[in-house]
Amino acid sequence: MKTIETSRLTDLAQALSAAGYRVVAPVAEGGVVRLREWTKGLEIALEAVPVNSMKDFLFPRSEVVARFALQEEGGFTPATNERSTPKTVVLGARPCDAAALPALDAVFNWDYRDGAYNARREAVTIMSLACAKADEHCFCTSVGGAPDGIAGADAILRPADGGKRLVFEPLTEKGRALIPAAAGTLAEGTAATQTPVAPPRRFDPEAVGRWLAANFDSPFWKEASLACLGCGACAYACPVCHCFDLQDESDRRECRRLRNWDSCGFGLFTLHASGHNPRPDQSARWRQRVTHKFSIYPQRFKTLACTGCGRCSRLCQAGMAIAETCQRIEALGR
Amino acid sequence: MNDDLYKPFLMSIETARDEAPDVRTFRLRFAQEGDRAQFFQRYRVGMFGLYGVPGEGESTFCVASPPTRTDHIECTFRKVGRVTQALQDLEVGQSLTFRGPYGNHFPIDSWKGRDLLFIAGGIALPPMRSVIWNILDRRAEFGKVAVVYGARTTADLVYKHELAEWAARPDMTLVTTVDPGGQTPDWKGKVGFVPAVLKELAPSAKNCVAVLCGPPIMIKLTLPVLAALGFAPKDIYTTLENRMKCGVGKCGRCNVGSVYVCKDGPVFTLDELSRLPAGDM
Amino acid sequence: MLAALRDAAKKLLDEKRAVLVIGYADRAGRPALFASKPEDCGRLVYDASCRQNLAAYLGKPEVRARMPVAIVAPPAVLRSIVVLTAESQVATGQVLALAVDQDSFLGTFDAAAAAELLRAKYPALGPAPDLLERVQGLSKKSAAERAAFWAEEFTKCTRCYACRAACPGCYCTRCIVEKNAPQWVSTAALGHGNYTWNVMRAFHQSGRCTLCGACEAACPQGLPLMTLNALLDREALEEFDARPGYDPQAKPFIGSWDAQDDHSYMR
Repeated sequence: MKTIETSRLTDLAQALSAAGYRVVAPVAEGGVVRLREWTKGLEIALEAVPVNSMKDFLFPRSEVVARFALQEEGGFTPATNERSTPKTVVLGARPCDAAALPALDAVFNWDYRDGAYNARREAVTIMSLACAKADEHCFCTSVGGAPDGIAGADAILRPADGGKRLVFEPLTEKGRALIPAAAGTLAEGTAATQTPVAPPRRFDPEAVGRWLAANFDSPFWKEASLACLGCGACAYACPVCHCFDLQDESDRRECRRLRNWDSCGFGLFTLHASGHNPRPDQSARWRQRVTHKFSIYPQRFKTLACTGCGRCSRLCQAGMAIAETCQRIEALGR
Repeated sequence: MNDDLYKPFLMSIETARDEAPDVRTFRLRFAQEGDRAQFFQRYRVGMFGLYGVPGEGESTFCVASPPTRTDHIECTFRKVGRVTQALQDLEVGQSLTFRGPYGNHFPIDSWKGRDLLFIAGGIALPPMRSVIWNILDRRAEFGKVAVVYGARTTADLVYKHELAEWAARPDMTLVTTVDPGGQTPDWKGKVGFVPAVLKELAPSAKNCVAVLCGPPIMIKLTLPVLAALGFAPKDIYTTLENRMKCGVGKCGRCNVGSVYVCKDGPVFTLDELSRLPAGDM
Repeated sequence: MLAALRDAAKKLLDEKRAVLVIGYADRAGRPALFASKPEDCGRLVYDASCRQNLAAYLGKPEVRARMPVAIVAPPAVLRSIVVLTAESQVATGQVLALAVDQDSFLGTFDAAAAAELLRAKYPALGPAPDLLERVQGLSKKSAAERAAFWAEEFTKCTRCYACRAACPGCYCTRCIVEKNAPQWVSTAALGHGNYTWNVMRAFHQSGRCTLCGACEAACPQGLPLMTLNALLDREALEEFDARPGYDPQAKPFIGSWDAQDDHSYMR
């Protein structure tokens, strides 16, 4: 077994950095744990699920997808759009984040392959950290996940010896490729891995999916959505949500066609130029959010668009808890 | 498929024609021959594209010309917002961006030997026009061709010169109409709403495919007329619109229930349409 | 205190003086509770962990359709209701406040009575000590240091607009960032657009912000939004004697001009 002392995790980060990897890790800043580019001197914070997901590094908040040089006399020519895809390791991702990757891979390669996403995906190695505990918002076990789940991960660190050590287990070629760089910080030996405390299963997503497919016009949504104020906090924090907007921005010399995050919760998301809006109220938009994750997506891609990370409910000031909505739906279906 | 998904083709405007107030048709040429060849390899009638002006954005319209005419493409659109305004500010000779062809297509090969009935209203003739020309360019393969087209007023009729051409052709029937009160003194066509005109015409549903496109109210009132005439839902086709951005099934915006208009559509049979949740349209 | 609050809310629904009561639910995070049946009022709670400004729901068409609405309102929310009344966003009698503070239920008030209560009991509401410390700490820094501080903070903004959604003062049916002809503010969650959005929103709230803190509580990234709002609140108070939420007939601070205003900046 290869192990590392939990308190020496930054040594592993440093070793990977020295081997040419950009290291992304959870770091506490002003009371908030955030996944960010790690630099020497930063402590790696393992105590909470980061407010942002790994999605930031595969599908950035704003990305140039096409570039044009603007001519002084008017007109334009296409310009090269360089992509930067540094070799990256995400150190300390949660299993619920890693589990989002198969779902994102599916949509970004649905017939048309998204080159920018795939290039970043290829360049990233995910080293998950299995969770020792869950909070009241976690529900990975309701959606086919687990605190020590390996879906989407290239390697996993499992807490052992009461949390004092982490056992390193490579899962894929990419994970194994980390070993030469990591070797100096990993010790050979044995350690007793802990059984994680898993959140109790709260609902059956297949039952939820069946109800959703058969009850589109249910009055349930009106009352269920009343508290929602239609911001994008849940969609942006979610490791699977990938809705986006394409916007042009230009100065005198150049136009950049940007792909920016967007959310089906916003009122303008589906507004037609004619003024017609297929989803004119928050009830229709909340319905879309839940139905997309638990019915539409699995019908199309054979995977849920939710990994139970709980960020949406943890962050929502209005108390919109998707797991609770699913529990209520399952009860309706009985 | 295209890996640099959002990198568009460069097009230049060969001709521009005003069809109706705020409605214009562009004939566009591909700046690169390789792009043109790549486009026509994939283009089938009914597919759409995203037309853009760098600095302003992109807008979604059908390709209004048929795949049988391979040296150009055409689009017809109304000025309704920022991007369509910017497009209409462009002059002949200037460039714009194009991504496509996207979506599914009308299965015209399965219509061989059958009669065809096209019903369109107002600005919805463009998606129909590409099919009509596709059929006319392969005329011998199909049975009778009839077109019923109406608009609010005479001025709102698009492709006026083509309507005259179609009216003169012996191998098709054209019936044009304007809403009551929309006729000018020199109007020679019918006066009445499209559903009423269709009912009066009473075309035979036998071995006939109906293709329908128009504003929601027109569709709503025309469908019962087609049903009464004996058209089966699987023989009625339409093309849907929805707010789009990527056109390739990724931005999450255009779905109606579990169906993505940009990937599973925009062409649907009434059969397929009736399975979509009306509350998401 | 809770018994008095619950009884008062129940009475409003029983007597049909309100169609809907909006309060805080007894759940972690204290999300909104929407009570339309008198018996639902038994579940209302209020304590220090209630951070949402429920007056934000007055912007929702679904809530407006069920007026009169009664809202559980600590002092900052009372002020919000008065501001919305002064700005003609709610008509007299359409909103009732179930006024609370940390110790007691204070009674049921319409906007005018709420303003009187505030003038009598809470005449000089301002930033809490820890917020004041943040403002003072930042004010001591040089302009360049302050600019750098905010630039760094705003790199974390994802433009989720949770701050806008949480704020009762942000009720524009089409926010300025949602306008595209012209596109006044970049919608990309990057440097200059983020700076513009956050600073602009704070300016749009100046002289109107009731320091409820709901925006900062709602921000998933933990941005110190209240520092910015409190800075502007202080400016509005010191330069223009603006005290939002104390007079339901006050002229809007940003939207009105007075010959007595200091015009020395015009040269």
